[in-house]
Formats: sequence, C-alpha cells, structure tokens
Amino acid sequence: MTMPARALASSRAPFVLVAIVLLFVLLASTGVAFGSTWIPLSQVWDVLLGAEIRGKTVIILQFRLPRVVIAALAGGGFAVAGYLLQRVTRNDLASPGILGVVDGAALAVVCFLAALSNESNALVTSIAYQPVAAAAGSILAIFVVFAFAGSQAASAIRLLLFGTAVAAVLKSLTVIAMLVGPVYQAGQAARWIAGAVNEINWNEIRITAMGMLPLMLIVLIVARKLPPADLDETSARSVGLNLPTFRVHIFVLAAAITALSAAFVGGVGFIGLMAPHLARRLIGRTVHLGLVGSFFIGASMLVGADLIVRLLFSPTEVPAGTVPAVIGAPYFLYLLMRNQRHD
Amino acid sequence: MRPIAIPTSSRPAISLTIALWVTLTMVILASIALGYRQYWPSAIWRAIFAFDGSESAVVITTLRIPRALLAPLVGAALGVAGVLTQTLARNRIASPDTLGINAGAALAVVASSVWFGVGSIAGMSVAAISGALATSLLVFGVAASSGGFSPIRIVLVGVTVGGLGYSIVQIILTTNEAQLKELLFWLTGSFADRPISFAIGGAPVVLVGLMVAWMLAQPLDALQADDTTAANLGVPLAVVRWSGFLTVSLLTGASVCMAGPVGFVGFVVPHVARRFVGLGHRRLIITSALIGAIYATTADVLARFIIYPAEAPVGAITSTVGGTVLLILLKRRVA
Repeated sequence: MTMPARALASSRAPFVLVAIVLLFVLLASTGVAFGSTWIPLSQVWDVLLGAEIRGKTVIILQFRLPRVVIAALAGGGFAVAGYLLQRVTRNDLASPGILGVVDGAALAVVCFLAALSNESNALVTSIAYQPVAAAAGSILAIFVVFAFAGSQAASAIRLLLFGTAVAAVLKSLTVIAMLVGPVYQAGQAARWIAGAVNEINWNEIRITAMGMLPLMLIVLIVARKLPPADLDETSARSVGLNLPTFRVHIFVLAAAITALSAAFVGGVGFIGLMAPHLARRLIGRTVHLGLVGSFFIGASMLVGADLIVRLLFSPTEVPAGTVPAVIGAPYFLYLLMRNQRHD
Repeated sequence: MRPIAIPTSSRPAISLTIALWVTLTMVILASIALGYRQYWPSAIWRAIFAFDGSESAVVITTLRIPRALLAPLVGAALGVAGVLTQTLARNRIASPDTLGINAGAALAVVASSVWFGVGSIAGMSVAAISGALATSLLVFGVAASSGGFSPIRIVLVGVTVGGLGYSIVQIILTTNEAQLKELLFWLTGSFADRPISFAIGGAPVVLVGLMVAWMLAQPLDALQADDTTAANLGVPLAVVRWSGFLTVSLLTGASVCMAGPVGFVGFVVPHVARRFVGLGHRRLIITSALIGAIYATTADVLARFIIYPAEAPVGAITSTVGGTVLLILLKRRVA
C-alpha cells in the first residue's frame, strides 16, 4: 500500500521542522559572526553561552547580536501573521504586506514619533508605547480594507486589490508624516520605506520579545480552531469553524503580531507571503507544526536578508527589507500567473 | 474608416473649455503667488517684466515660475497617458501608475544615471521613455502570456512590478548614499527645485505626445468596443495599439524625467474628464489634458501648505487621493 502524499508529508514533518530550526541557528550564528571582522563560529557560541573574550564580547553583544535577534523576531512575526491571514481568508495570496497591515503599522509609528518627540528628537513618552501605536495603526488598516471590500472580500483577488489600494494610501501618508517628524533628520527614513534591522538596541528587543511571547502562545492555543485548509467555507461554518467573530479575532491577532514586528523594524513586505507557503510545502498542513515552521522560516528569511545586504553592500547600510521585496515580487507574480481560479 | 457614434455629454464644449482654461490660469498664478512666502501680483509682475534682483524677484523667477510651468505640463501629459492606457487596456482602473509604467521609467532614469553616468536631459528622457515602454510591454506580456487577465489581475501585476521597480530604485540610491530628498524624489515625485531647463526640455516631447494622442482619437473611439467591431470599422488594430503604447511611454517617460513618478494623476484625471465630456476621445483627450494640468498644479500648491512650513512631495498627495479613488471605484465595481 502506498502512503498518500499528505500523510507522507506529515510523517516526516517533525524531522523537516528540526532541519529548519538547525538552518535558522546556523544562519543566525553566521549573522553574528559576519561583519567588518569575522569572528569564528566557535567563539560566537562561547560568547553567547556566557564566556568573556576580550574585544569580541562587546562587538557581539552590543553590535551584531541585536540586529540578528530583532530580525529573527520580526521575520518570524510577519510569517506567523501571514500564516493566520492565509488560513482564515482561505487565500494563498493574502499577507500582512499586501493587505496594508504592515503599512498601517509603519504609518502609526511615524505619526507617533512625529507627535511625541521634543525639539531634540527625543521621545517624550516611553518607547514601550511605540508597538501600541503600531498595533492601533495595523488593526485600523485591516478593518478599513475589509470595510471597503465588504462582500467582495469573498473574492480572493479583489480583496488583494483593496489591500493594495489601502497600502498605497498609507505609504503616501507615511512619506508626508516622515517629513513632519524627527525621522527626517535621523536619516532613518529607509526603515519606514522598506524595513531595516540596523541601529536596534536591547531595550527595543526586550519590548518586542515581551509582546511576542504572549501573542505566540495565544496563536498556538487558538490555532486548533482554524478550519482545516481543505474544508470548504460552508462546511467549516456548519461545524462552527471560521465564524465571523472568530475571523475578526484572528484578524486582530494577526494585525497585532504584524504591528509588533514592524514597530521597530519598519515595513518589511512579502515574508508574510512566502514563509507560510514554504512551510506548507515542506511541513504539510498540520496547523501547529506549520505555525512553528513558518516562524523559523520567516526568521531565517529576514536574518538571511540582513546577511545578504551586509555581504553585498557593506559598509553602506542598505535596508534589509529590500531583499524580500525584490525576491517576493516575482514570486507573487508567479503565483498570480499560475493560479487563475481566484477570479 | 467610418466615425462611430459615442455617447457624449450635451454640455456645450466651448464654455467648458473656456472655464477650464480660466481655472488653469488662476491655479498657475496661485502657484506663483502662494507658498512659504506669499507674493502680490504686483511683485510677480515686477519680477517678470522689471527684474530688479531683489530677493522676491529671485525667488519668483528661479523657484516659483519653473514649478508653475512644470506642474501643468506633467499633469497634462499624465492625464492624457491615463486616458490612452484605460482605453487600450479596456480597463477603467488601468493607468501609468497602476500598471507600474511610472516606476519603470523612474528605475530606468536612476539606473542609467548611477551606472552609466547619464546626466543630460536628453539622455534621461530617452532612458525614461525606454523604461516606460519596457515596463508596459512586460506587464501586458505577462498578462497576455497567461491567456488574458481580468482587469483586477492585470492591475495587481502592474502594482507588483511597480513595487519591484521602486525597491530596486531604493537599493541603487542607498548604495550610492543618496540624500533622503533625492530618494523621495525618485519614489514619489515632486515639482520643487527642478531647474527651468527641465520644463523647457520636456515641453516639446509632451506636445508631440499630446498631438499624436489627439490624432489617435477616432480609432480609440472604435477600440472601446471589442476587437471584431473595431476591425470591422476599419481600424488597423496593431498600428493603433503600438502607437498608443508608444505615446503612453513618451508622455509618462517625459513626465517622470521632469518631475519623478508623480503618482495616480493619470489614474484619477480620466475619470473626472469622462464625467464632463463622456466617452468621445477628441474631447476626452483635450479635457483630460486641461484637468490634469489643473489637478497637478493645485496639488503642488497644496503640497506647500499641508505640513507648513515643511513641504510635502506632491506625489504623496496625488497618490493619497488616487488610492482613495481606486478604493471607491473598486467598491462600486467599476472593474
């Protein structure tokens, strides 16, 4: 008896997942090791495990590790948000980027920085509120998209165009808001256009991690209520899955995760589209494994993107978000061409 | 070739045209007078006809007048490019922006100036026009190769291609340590601080484009029906399509070269113009040129006040308006 392909996929899923995590660990340690001077991987691990190596510890802990950690957290966050959106809208092309959620977060943060900074560009309030502002923006964005789309949201492809239009408006408003605020002087604008992981400090990472942990736990708890991907909409509703209120909860959850990821890193697109697809290809449709896989694939993608821009363009700081943008756009076109049934 | 009956508005053509010309003159004067500092008409008069080297005269002649000429020129070019694109694609949400043609032109200019040192206006125009043409061929090629796309899908392709172009522009400019101002110019477009030579150099290209568009008016009317009808009316489809795309590329390329990718002007203007004059292309093209000029100039004046005393890039304002119009059109199922 031959095993059905899907059963095969889920039986090897745990091993694939371990391989993905190992790949992530390797990429992340390379990300720490690589820089103006190469630090051997063995020393990197020694330092991470608490050893003190003269001259190296400071470089690793203060300069290299922060950007790798934030890239992992944000990349993983975008990926999980994308996974949730794709499952709950039954739309393989959905992602926080194309639905305007990322741009909503970016606009809100830029407005927050513009409104609450003093003359010398210092925030007059706690930086911990920055993700809160981002969340407000991203939740608002996703509701604007669905409010405009209304019943047309059922058509996968039309929903995307509504998202694209909202994203275009939000991007333009971000540019205007950027010129009002201190971002203009700080030369950080690139972050809010494409997303970047440089100039991150441990305080920002702590805030992101403290928000991400409970959100991810909630995701793992509600994940079993996500309808199986192969169940059609009517059947899913008739067994009490994917009801409107549940969908709204998932939208809010995905928006909050996106916001937290974008709060300090800016608007990275396409990871939320690509990582869940890759996870499904490699791991199959098991929800929990798929979520964990998406997180680590997304994390690897942004860590890898940062490594690529540093390899290619160092010492110039090219925003890491440009890499997924350049790779993701052709991939999205490929999906559009391959898959015409959504009309 | 026989003319085809196209519903047109019953409003008298002459009074509308006069009203648009008067409005255009007024917004151009406003564009010279209003800004960080305001100037009375007498000061403008003196700056032009009795230049005395005073600060106000210098500001008026070197900063205000160039952009007051550039904005209507670009607006007219993009408005007409939008009409042509929407008719050629038979798609009411198509435009140089939603099909990525703007972005392609911007990428071509940035790449050729950074990699090949192209700096002359002529060289940049050639690059911009080729970039625009290549992008429209790419987008329509992708659409045609997969057996004809729905209007929604082709716009998604265009927006994605455009986004890709802007990402590459950003990489090229950041690796060359460009200033934020330059980056924003090539990502959103602006009429500020462009030397008058750009308006003078671009004007003939735009005029040629507008004239060709006007000559294509009658076959474009026929093209609004399906291909068979158009062919039966004696329209040489291939010739009209190719000259149409060339004209769109010419107009879009010239405007991007002059003012960067000012977004969604070509998208919004044809919809407004159709409300005034209906679907006949002779009047639609003239009206779109005038409305485009008025719209771009007005947006440019607004750009100076919306975050006063700083100045917003005009493209950010037109894109905000344009994206909102796109949402409304989608909501109404125009496409």
